[in-house]
Amino acid sequence: MSTVTAPAGPTVHPAGDNLLEITDLVKHFPIKSGSLLGRTVGQVRAVDGVTLSVRRGRTLGLVGESGCGKSTLARVVTALQPATSGSIKLNGTELTTLRSGQMRGLRRQVQMVFQDPYGSLNPRRRVGSILGEPYAIHDGPKGKDRQQAVQQLLERVGLSSDHYNRFPTEFSGGQRQRLGIARALALRPELVVCDEPVSALDVSIQAQVLNLLEDLQDEFGLTYLFIAHDLSVVRHVSDEVAVMYLGKIVERGPVESLYSRPRHPYTNALLSAVPDPSAAAQRGTSTRIVLTGDVPSPAAPPSGCRFHTRCPKAQDLCSQEEPLLRPTPEDPEHVFACHYPVAAGEPLSIGTWSESAQAAVPRRAPSPARTSITKNREGSA
Amino acid sequence: MSATDLVDISDPGGEPAPTADAPAKIAGRTPMQLALRRLRKDKLAIISAVFIVLLILVAIFAPVITAVIGHGPNVQFPNTGLDAFGTPVGPGKHFLFGTDELGRDVLSRVIYGARVSLAIGIGATLISLIIGMVVGIFAGFYGGPVDTFLSRFMDLLLSFPFLLLAIALVARFGPSFQLVLYLLAFFGWPAIGRLVRGQVLALKEREFVEAARSLGSNNLRIMFVDILPNLLPLAVVYSTLLVPINIVAEATLSFLGLGVQLPTASWGGMISESQNGSLYQVAWWLLVFPSIALFLVTLAFNLLGDGLRDALDPRSGRSQLGK
Repeated sequence: MSTVTAPAGPTVHPAGDNLLEITDLVKHFPIKSGSLLGRTVGQVRAVDGVTLSVRRGRTLGLVGESGCGKSTLARVVTALQPATSGSIKLNGTELTTLRSGQMRGLRRQVQMVFQDPYGSLNPRRRVGSILGEPYAIHDGPKGKDRQQAVQQLLERVGLSSDHYNRFPTEFSGGQRQRLGIARALALRPELVVCDEPVSALDVSIQAQVLNLLEDLQDEFGLTYLFIAHDLSVVRHVSDEVAVMYLGKIVERGPVESLYSRPRHPYTNALLSAVPDPSAAAQRGTSTRIVLTGDVPSPAAPPSGCRFHTRCPKAQDLCSQEEPLLRPTPEDPEHVFACHYPVAAGEPLSIGTWSESAQAAVPRRAPSPARTSITKNREGSA
Repeated sequence: MSATDLVDISDPGGEPAPTADAPAKIAGRTPMQLALRRLRKDKLAIISAVFIVLLILVAIFAPVITAVIGHGPNVQFPNTGLDAFGTPVGPGKHFLFGTDELGRDVLSRVIYGARVSLAIGIGATLISLIIGMVVGIFAGFYGGPVDTFLSRFMDLLLSFPFLLLAIALVARFGPSFQLVLYLLAFFGWPAIGRLVRGQVLALKEREFVEAARSLGSNNLRIMFVDILPNLLPLAVVYSTLLVPINIVAEATLSFLGLGVQLPTASWGGMISESQNGSLYQVAWWLLVFPSIALFLVTLAFNLLGDGLRDALDPRSGRSQLGK
């Protein structure tokens, strides 16, 4: 589904297919010493060589723990932060070398929906002024026309045109997020980067906002880069999912393939942590993998595979050599970066590892217990 | 999109419809309306506000009022205003606040003194406010060397001995209304600038600033369209508290003979005059009335400022202690 430009990339789609292409994107934040001169004493490697692409009209879900660099990636793609190196191409146009004058055009094409519906709307401005701002900046309609455009936007996202003169404080969290979505749509962008758009909302409201996003995607042909840490949300909205750990993509693939046959132990652990209300879970037969320890500091990432410090399958090789993204045998578009990937149907939990389990070969004959776990996982699919 | 839904979608139609039918019942209130409602509960602040408004009206219409009284501020009444020994007459039917040593009506002079006090107090505060806001916004928003330079400059001004500089400048340029006004404005803005800078440091990290940037706002637009409105409550409160400081400073300068010059009536000047030859020992009204005026206006502005602070930011200050 996406282009893999890693050395082992098996498929290369025509460039026209992809709206957004990110290649070897790096974003380091310098760590300054406290002295007056502010000497740089280190780098926080927030995003460290990410290659991704998003097809036009589709949704790429990006998941990972807090602090893995998801939001930084979003801010680099939307040009809120300059990239340290690498390339971001939108419709074939390189964004990282754009000058500020050309950036204005980019702003029309890439918009962002923010995580915090309370912080992202200026509390001292009225709805009409907040939603009219994109038009004010980009020489859009003025006066009565602008008001009409804003009111149409309001109605399109499920609010009332009467809300034009209200302040953001008068709205609930879900309504505020609708305002944030309306603002992002005002300029009719092609790509919308959603940075955890529903994680601050009640679960019941989350579904409504997700449905709104889907409807708008169909209506306006939007392409989404959808960032979240909630795997069920990502599964619901995405066509393709990328899993990020400490600034790197560890696994990426079509949503069905990745959720049913995760290959990277980290993906596996994340998926096993999704609360599952199915009967099997209640009987206690599902295995939850609990990762121990914290995410290592992105200022000093572990050598080799960055996950090896917490990985139940880690071997010597993992700390020495960094695994590259490679395709799974079943699906060339499903890629992962692991020396000892999880075999299909293999339960992965701490304490159940034997020496033989570390082979990268799929297991032929899963035990009855393992079968039930697999069923459980697929049952929720 | 994935065909499977892990998320429970019970109501695909959107949130409970925005109350389009009955907006009047659950009327939303703007932040300003909410603040005013809280302010209205603060009786002291309301009384102070009424007093200040009345005083401003008195100052504006001072010529009319003194014409009604029939005593101009600088008109001497040697026959009725001074007794047989040439000493001032006390408060009475003819002169409500008494007269001074030249036979002038103290009431008229207090009324005219309000003009000087308010013009300098409010004028200097407004100038300070504009300079302080602009410098504070730039320092806080840009940070780095800009901030270092502007902040150190503000620190420098704040550490200046105000009175010494005032004396030196008056010695050089001669005392005048304008000099006092600019002097107070010049020394007033760094305090506002530092306050605003701190607020901007916090505000610029808010997501709505990032949102503005992602829409394509330039720095100037973000500073003055997005951040500035969020500074206004703070500015209103601090200005209200700066006005009495400036009024007292003006009175101090006039008292020392460095401010508004005689015969123009000013409260500080009147208090100073009352001390000439210890006149106040026999004519207490010369000292008491301008002092009370000064006291009341200072108190009113301070109470109003406190009330505004509580009303605009309910989480801070007195309101919690008062409950």
